[in-house]
Order: sequence, then structure tokens, then C-alpha cells
Amino acid sequence: MKQSSALVLVLLLLSCCMAAPCLGDPLDAFSGQKGTIKIAGGTAHIPVMTEAAKRIMTRHNDISITVAGGGSGLGIKQAGERLVDIGNSGREPKPEEIERYGLAVYKWAIDGVGVVVHPKNPVTSLSSEQLKDIFSGKIDNWKSLGGPDHAITLYTRDEASGTREVFWEKALSKGPISPKALFTASNGAMKTAVANDPYAIGYVSVGHMDKSIVPVTLDGVTPTLETVKNGGYKVSRGLFSNTKGEPQGLTRLFIDYLFTSEGQKIAADKGFIPVK
Amino acid sequence: MKTSGDAIAKAFFLSCAGISAVMTSAVFLFMIVLGLPLFRKGSFMDIWMGTWSPAEGVFGIGHMIAGTFWIAIPAVVLSLPLSLGTSFVIAGLGGPRLRETLISLVRFMTGIPTVIYGFLGIFLLVPLIREELGGPGMCVLAASMVLAVLITPTMVLFFSHSLMAVDPAHVQAARALGAGRIQRLLYVMLPEALGGMATGLVLALGRALGDTLIALMLAGNALGMPAGFLDPARTLTGHIALVQAADYDSLEFRSIFACGIALYLFTTASVIAVRFIERGKKEAA
Amino acid sequence: MMRTLMEKTITFLSWLMTLVLFSVVLFFIGYLLHKGLPVLGRSLVFGETDPMQAILGRARVFDGLFPAVMGTLYLVLLSTALALPIGISAGIYLAEYAPPAAGRRFGFFFDILAGIPSIVIGLFGFSVAVFLHKHFSGRISPCLLISALSLAFLVLPYIIRSTQVALESLPAPIRRTAPALGATRLQNLVYVLIPHALSNIVSGIILSIGRCAEDTAVIMLTGVVATAGIPSSLLSQYEALPFYIYYISGQYADQAELDKGYGACLILLGICAVLFILAGMVKKHLTHRALYKV
Repeated sequence: MKQSSALVLVLLLLSCCMAAPCLGDPLDAFSGQKGTIKIAGGTAHIPVMTEAAKRIMTRHNDISITVAGGGSGLGIKQAGERLVDIGNSGREPKPEEIERYGLAVYKWAIDGVGVVVHPKNPVTSLSSEQLKDIFSGKIDNWKSLGGPDHAITLYTRDEASGTREVFWEKALSKGPISPKALFTASNGAMKTAVANDPYAIGYVSVGHMDKSIVPVTLDGVTPTLETVKNGGYKVSRGLFSNTKGEPQGLTRLFIDYLFTSEGQKIAADKGFIPVK
Repeated sequence: MKTSGDAIAKAFFLSCAGISAVMTSAVFLFMIVLGLPLFRKGSFMDIWMGTWSPAEGVFGIGHMIAGTFWIAIPAVVLSLPLSLGTSFVIAGLGGPRLRETLISLVRFMTGIPTVIYGFLGIFLLVPLIREELGGPGMCVLAASMVLAVLITPTMVLFFSHSLMAVDPAHVQAARALGAGRIQRLLYVMLPEALGGMATGLVLALGRALGDTLIALMLAGNALGMPAGFLDPARTLTGHIALVQAADYDSLEFRSIFACGIALYLFTTASVIAVRFIERGKKEAA
Repeated sequence: MMRTLMEKTITFLSWLMTLVLFSVVLFFIGYLLHKGLPVLGRSLVFGETDPMQAILGRARVFDGLFPAVMGTLYLVLLSTALALPIGISAGIYLAEYAPPAAGRRFGFFFDILAGIPSIVIGLFGFSVAVFLHKHFSGRISPCLLISALSLAFLVLPYIIRSTQVALESLPAPIRRTAPALGATRLQNLVYVLIPHALSNIVSGIILSIGRCAEDTAVIMLTGVVATAGIPSSLLSQYEALPFYIYYISGQYADQAELDKGYGACLILLGICAVLFILAGMVKKHLTHRALYKV
């Protein structure tokens, strides 16, 4: 027991000296710290954030980490106003946002945004043109696409969503979204909504995809980790964590933790492509 | 000594009442001040009547106002027969023991959390509507049906209270003349209770207009104007809950203060309507 | 003839409507019990953490409802503590001191306050928090304290009204005896009127606690989040049961999470039912006790 803690100490010292936190247990970096970290914004990030928070908080009882959603727009804004310590975004903060708030931007994973339907839906392949027609409301029944004779339920996200912005720009070429589309509040909610509605179509972070929904092949490319990674699937984006100015103290430690091998492994486990 | 203590107490009680009243007005002022950038920018009518399309810099809440009424009015219409029937049974048709039990049950129903109704609506009602009636399932009909169940207890309490408040001497007189239960109810109690029942109706409508969770969870929150009961809709309250997430210096965010102002005005209008009804009742008496 | 037919139809429809209303609500509650009861248990609240350790604050609960239950508890205690003194005092003023014209004017404001949708109160709380953050202290942001203040504001009219009605409905003989013996207005109030009205005041308060526990719209704008743990200070964000139910309804990831949602519904319904029964008991029994003590 004593030996191992001595070993940990040595490793810790060593890692400090070498400025290479990937040596030893990265959670030790939080030793002796206390306080709170408030995280909000991008909803694709939430599984990674809560897992990281859980690991840190299980080990260190004096640290509290709160995680909220709200969307990328909210994350950037609230970090910029210091309402939260870390504001996540599923799109790159715009140059004017970085300048206005003096943001420090950290991209710790790569993700895609894929179109999804219910597992029972026979329609699993679409062209860009068809997708645009579906979202603009021009095609409003699955029948004309080879599916059941039932109205298409469109699901979309609100303006603060980075996922929406990336999808709208890269998949819809900034085309219109029908005013009949239903709104969901996060990537998690989008997935649940589509999984429960046999006639649904929506778009969700590739990292959030699982067996409950089916990804739609777009122009011959299916959105998966591999196709996003090798660049075959074009609707991709980074996952960012932003702070106002260089992060300090606990916030700094948290951001660093995301880039350790453990942090990057969490990202990979949750379905994203690590940057390291 | 005694009198100064009395005076201090009175001043304290008065200031508490004063603070509460000032805060009530402050809510309205806050909404106006914070919504000001939006009112300055666009044409005034566009905000209240227009569409909401932030990408094009258009921030009208017309569709949300329409959506609010699209959901609230059917809810009240659905709730009205339920409330009338139940309050008839409570006030006249059932016996005194049934009356006690039903009143306790209805009181308990007013305390069932809204979010639970919404939760059950998602899993019980929405799939049913989608499969049996078509459309997306999350729609005006789903929200107004659940909302009707939510507001009925309030309405029943008001209705039966007003029916039972009718002068017992009148009821006894009718009874002596041989009127049965339903006759006493319809020809003696109902006409006298109409004023109080109207108050209950207005308050229930207010509750339906101001509810957030049911429409947010069950109506789908689409931006378009609903054209039928199976279409999705967004209410003013739902809009506030959804856009709260946005950047709060943007005009987009300012639009939710317009929603707040609209809701505040609905409330004030309903309070004034209730006072009007009650004054009419007193003058008639 | 037509008349009796109409009377019969109305009688029949009334019973039918009553039946429909109660079967719908009983079906809802039955369905909830059916789904929620099997989930109810230690692990629903505490996950894999030892309950004692969790309650003593030595270990954290990650997979249970404990933080949400505690968040709701803190919220209820704080907002009631904030609303009570102001609400009761204002109610006393309206019932005992206000001249009729002033009473009507105040009553108008409190009716409006009672009718303002809770989301608008939440928006107000959020705006005040952002305002304070910008102009006073960077440490203030939407948090437990802001939520509690907003909720207190939300239930204020109920407390005012129940206090006022409880005092006003006291019979004249009770009202007049003490002053006739030389008591001041305040003495009459403190020693006679309030003790007599206490049961009705308290049952009104308990019902307003129920509103604090169930409200979702106010807190979703003023600081509740999906993952926070037990709040460490008044300025922390927190979790709460109704918000958890709302959150899970939209984005449960698997059957286990959905089951937890049903469990949470049942716990919340249980809390509201207990408060309701408590209010009824207070109304019945406290009346006698208060009469004999004084």
C-alpha cells in the first residue's frame, strides 16, 4: 500500500518534471484541488463530459463538476460572459466570437453529423437533392422514396445548435428547413425522438449513433467513424471546448485531462475520433 | 409603547404587501426594458404578427401566439363538459358522502405535477395519435387533450363551489315545491351560479394559456402555423423555454421578452375580466 | 315531455363525464404504479453507492436520483423560508389593516401575480441573474439561490391569499372579544386571530410547498442542470426531480433510464400526495389543538 502510493508520488513528480501528463494516472493531477467547474453548451459533448466528471469526482470528493446542455451557441456565449467555466461547441467558434470574448479554443475530438431514420424504415439511402427536398418539405411522404405511405416527420434542432449549423451548411447547402419540422433540444433527444417514431428523419452526431436508429447513406457514403475519419463522409466537424482567456486552475486541469490518453480514450469510447 | 409597537407592525405588514406588488410590476417593466432593442429595430406589428426566422433576421412571434390559442382553446372546450358533468354530480346529483369523496379527489388532482402528465402523454398518447390518426403524433391534439385533463380539476372546484354557494333557502323552496335533484340543479342553482362559473372558466383558460410543460413536451414546437389538430405547434411559453438557450444579447433572444409581455398581458386581461364578471354579479344581486 | 328527456340526458351525461374524468386520472396513476413500482428501490435513489455514505456526504451518487431528490428538498426548504415571512405579513395586512380601496388595489396585483405563467417568472429570475452577474458580482449566475427566489415569488400569492382568507373567515365574536378587554390590534392578532386561523394558514402553506416541488418551468430557466451532484453552496447549480423527469422523457438512452424516469415520477407523485394528506390533516386536527392551547 505504502509502496504503491510512493510510486504514484514518484510518477507524479516525474510527470510534472517532464511536463508530460500522460505518464502515471492523469487523475492525480487533480490531487489537493477543490472547487467547481461549470460546463455548458454543445450537447454532442455531454457523454464525454459526464464520464470525465464522474471519474474526477469519484476520486476527488472536493471537486464538483456540473454539466449542462443548451447548444453550441449558448456554450460560446456563456463561456464568453464567464457564466460557465467551459463552454462547449460542436462547431468552430467564429473569428468574431473568438475576438469579442478572447476565447481560448480546444479541439479534442472529431465527429460527423449524419442523417438518421427509424430501424423499421426501408429508406436508408438518399441523394443530397432528395435530402434537401425532404427538409424543405417538398417531399413529405415516405411513399415516393420507396417507404410506407405515411407523412414524413421531420426533426430539427434550434438555432443555438452547432450540430444544426454544421448539417445546414454542409448537408443542406444552407437550404431551407420546413416550418413543420419538430424541435428537439439535444443530440440525445434527437436520437430518442427518431428511435421512437417509425416515420422520423433527423440528424445526429455520429458519436451518438447506436442500434436504436439507422444512419442514412448520403450520396453513397454512410456516416460512420471510419468514413468520417478517412474523409469520405463530408459532413464532419470538430468538438471544441472553449474558455475565456487561457484557462486557469481546475479548468486548466480539466482541459488538460481531455487531452491525456485517458481523456482521449473516453472520447473514443463514446464514439468520437480522438485528435491524438 | 403599545401603540408604537402597533404602528411598527402595521408598517412592516404594509411594506411586505408593497414589496410584493412592486415586484409584480417590476416583472412587466423588466420585460419591456429587455425587449426594447427588438421593438426599436423592427416594425412593431411585425413582432406580434410576423413569422420567426432568425436566419433571415425576422423575429415575429405571431405563430407562437396562434399556437398558444390553438392549444388552449380546444383544451378548455374539451374540459368544459367534463367539468360541468363532474360539478353537477358533486353539487347536486350525488349524495353528501359522494360529494366529500369527489371533492377530496379533485383537490388531490390539482396537485398532480404537470411534468408527470407530460411524461405519460409522450408514452401513451403520442404513439396512439401517430398510428391511428396520422401526422407526427406530437401535435395540437395531444397537447390540448392532456392540458384538458390538467385544467379540469381547477374548473370543477370553481364550478361546484359556485353551485353550492347558491342560497340554501332558494333550493329548499324548490324542493318543497316538489323539484327533484336535477330540477333544483338546472333551474335554481345553475342560473344563480353562472357568474362564479364564468370566473372559473376564465381562470382555467388563463392556466391553459400559461402552461409550459405540456405543449413543450407534446406539441412538437414546430415554427409553422398549425393548420389542423394533427399539426405540430409552438406556444409562447414553449418558445421561451427553447430560446432561453440562445445568445442573450441577440435579437433572437430578445424575442422571448415579447412572448413574456404577451403572456403578462393575457394574465392581466383575464384578471380584469374576472373582476368585471364579479362586479356584474354584485350589481345583479 | 321534452323537458324530462333533457333532464334525464343531462343527468346521464353528468355521471358519464364524472366517470370519464376519474377513469382517465386513475388510469394514469395505475399505469405509473405499474411501470414505476418494480423500479422503486434502493438502487433507484442511490445507484451503487452505500446509502449511509451518500447521506453523510462521504460518497457521491452517480447513477441514482439522490442528487435530484436533495436538490428538490433544498429548493423547497429555501423557497418556502423566503416566501413565508413576506407572504404571511402581506396576507395579514390585507385582512386586518388595509382600508377597502387599498385592499382592492393590492388584491389586483396579487391576482395578476398568481396568474403570471411560471415560465415568465423563470425568465424574470434568469434576467435578474444575468443582470447581477454583469453589474455586481461575476460569481452570480443562474443557481440554487436564484431558483429559490423565483419559486418563492411564484408561490407568494398563494401564501398571501390563504393567510388573508383564513383571517377574514374568522367569526366576529372571536375577533371582538380581546379588543373589548383592552388588547391592542397587534395583541389581538398575535394571541387570538393567528392562533385561530393557524390551521388554514398552515394547510395553505403546505399546498404551496407542493407547487415548489413540482414546478419545472421556473427552474429550467434559473439554474437546474442534468448533472450536478448535491449543491455545495447557494450559488451552485443543482439537479431536481421534475427537471429530471422532463429531461429523461426527451432523451432516455435505454430502457433502464426510462424506467428510472417512471421511478422519478412515482417519487414526485408520492411527495405531492404526502403533502396533500398532511395539509388535510393539519386543517382537521390543528384546529382543536390551537383552540385549547390559547
